[in-house]
Amino acid sequence: MKKRLLALLMAMTLGAGCLTGCGRKPAADGNQASGGDTAAGGEVVINYPTFQIGVNTAAPVVAQLVQEFNEQYKGKYKIVIEEIPGDANYLEKMKVMISGGELPPVVYGGGYKVLDLALAKDLVVDLTDYVNQDADWKANYNEQALAVNSRDGKIYASSSELQLVGYFYNKELYAKAGIDKPAETWDEFFADCDKLLAAGITPLSMDTGDGAWCTQLLMGAMIATSGEEGLKFMETSQPTDYNLKAVTDAAAKIQQAFAKYTTKDAVGGVYENAANNFFSENTAMICNGPWMIGDFSDTTKTDEGFADKIGCAVYPGPFVYYAPLEGFFVTKQDDPKLVEASVEMVKFFTSTHAQQLALETQGMLPASPQVEVTDQAKQKFPLLADFLVMANEVETRSNDFTSNMFPNVTDVISQQMPALATGDITPEQFAQALTDAAAKNQ
Amino acid sequence: MKKNKLWIPVFLAPACILFLLIYAVPLVLVFITSFFDYRLMPNRFTFIGLDNYIQLLTSDPVFAEAFRNTVVWIAIHCTVHVFIGTLLAFILYKKPRGWKFVRVSYMIPNIISQSAIAMIFLNLFNPQYGVINSLLGAVGLESFQHNWLFERATAFPSVTMTWLLFAGYTTTLVLAEALSVDESLIEAARVDGASSFQIDLFIMFPMVKKMIGTTVIMAATYMLQLFSLIYITTGGGPQTATTNLPLMLYQTAMKENNYGYANTIGVFIIIVGMITMVIINKAFKMNESDY
Repeated sequence: MKKRLLALLMAMTLGAGCLTGCGRKPAADGNQASGGDTAAGGEVVINYPTFQIGVNTAAPVVAQLVQEFNEQYKGKYKIVIEEIPGDANYLEKMKVMISGGELPPVVYGGGYKVLDLALAKDLVVDLTDYVNQDADWKANYNEQALAVNSRDGKIYASSSELQLVGYFYNKELYAKAGIDKPAETWDEFFADCDKLLAAGITPLSMDTGDGAWCTQLLMGAMIATSGEEGLKFMETSQPTDYNLKAVTDAAAKIQQAFAKYTTKDAVGGVYENAANNFFSENTAMICNGPWMIGDFSDTTKTDEGFADKIGCAVYPGPFVYYAPLEGFFVTKQDDPKLVEASVEMVKFFTSTHAQQLALETQGMLPASPQVEVTDQAKQKFPLLADFLVMANEVETRSNDFTSNMFPNVTDVISQQMPALATGDITPEQFAQALTDAAAKNQ
Repeated sequence: MKKNKLWIPVFLAPACILFLLIYAVPLVLVFITSFFDYRLMPNRFTFIGLDNYIQLLTSDPVFAEAFRNTVVWIAIHCTVHVFIGTLLAFILYKKPRGWKFVRVSYMIPNIISQSAIAMIFLNLFNPQYGVINSLLGAVGLESFQHNWLFERATAFPSVTMTWLLFAGYTTTLVLAEALSVDESLIEAARVDGASSFQIDLFIMFPMVKKMIGTTVIMAATYMLQLFSLIYITTGGGPQTATTNLPLMLYQTAMKENNYGYANTIGVFIIIVGMITMVIINKAFKMNESDY
């Protein structure tokens, strides 16, 4: 009898053990870990997964905003951060969650094209009424911000950042090569590259991995400034045909740049390789946005005084990348209180205060037309102030090359660009490969 | 005794339930959805019969290369990799000096995570500061320097080298089997005048054959799951030179959001796995008794 009882108990323990992992995992504070929950005291907890932690540029801003939000809404709402190291991991987690039909209450869109995926699964809360009922919030949307965050006339997201991208150059290396100012035409640009080469300096930081961020910025600028066809292409959302002269001509120049003007590790390298080459003065130029400015004076990444050597420029043409980044959005949840709390969080995180904080702490450009670039920010980030003056004078603008693409095409770029760089494929074959990849989304 | 047998299903039930929930149900779903045009963006879920299979087998050049790469890697892993591991086990079972040190140290690469191994090789093969090119440069062989992982001609063999030599599991398993062989058999062979090579070939090899078969099965399944090493080093490129079936499945699902087609690839991987297992079982007569 005892043996039977023991066996029964063991079987039940095994069964219970199996089922333990099936439920939602409660967080340490007793709140549900996946979405959020209402705690015993009535405080609604928002579980917020984010990659903006640790050494991420935006980490100090997010930490400060979470602290301020939790203080302001103490006893009512509380944000609990779930740390996800790396934006690629974050993006993959969001995609997996979207396919499972369940997302965290607040998602940071930030140029990762997750909004459309979430909308396709009907997971996103319509923010139109919330925004229209709040004059301050509505005033944060200019025409471009409204376009990037709306679908079919409905507002689904709220931006906090603006993408304004040119390139940086090393003034000291330029001077060694006898170059007195950044090029105004592409012919001048490549002539400067030759001068740098002649002086024993590698001109460009380039990459092919992780969507070839630096390289695609260079390529996109060439496409956008090639003429009407190129600019129209750069303004097209999710293009399906890359077999255009503007694209193949730019690809040919990129092929030439890989062969002559960049480092050996550019083919196969990722952004970090390109940045390290620029930081260590192996190269004279890198295409990237103002968020990189903070790194120039970070002595863990560069030598003391490196920031003083760096200048910024708009692309030949002149041309500059200008687009608000797709913003935060709220997802549908069973608990209406959690949705209300999430809307408050998004409003708080995209408020003029939050954008001002991001600008003054990290030099992140605000999406809101209401946020002015203060003297304090200009003093802290003089390079940013210089760049804003230049960028404001540029009329030819567009979103960047990869932001408009279907997500799978970005990956195909990383696979095809090494072959383009080594001459295994022609610019025309490269364009065809991108077209084929885009066609898979039809 | 009969009464006790009643408890067998009770104890098996939790494992069976877990298997059904975690493996069987998703497997059935994978099989069913492979007959659908199932996409996240644009959102579609339409029955299309065998279209995914027809496209996969007749008109998808990425699949053709991924399949070829997978099969070649399985073949190399099941032969060269297992041979290296077995050869080392055959040396070590004779307990030469330092054999325990070699046994332990040879396992080290196998206990390091694949991501770390990938990062190590990414740096070793780096064309600018990597050890391989530096060594070639130091001995005056600059003309042999390559961007090993990102040139089409060298990418496949370079990725292969990231796992080919690290046969620690094979060595450990075969060595354990070899050490359990009755010493008197070997002694008897020696008395009969058998050479060391003859003992290895005619006594030791048949005795450990089943274990070698097991390591071959492990090697094949490892190749059917290989993902992070390729994803981190080359991402399947240049072009599709190092894409295998698991990576293609991942890209189809996560990048192209084409879950129906990805599940078709999944079904194909399962079929390839099953065929491989049958072949290996037959080759090593795994289901037959030695005695």
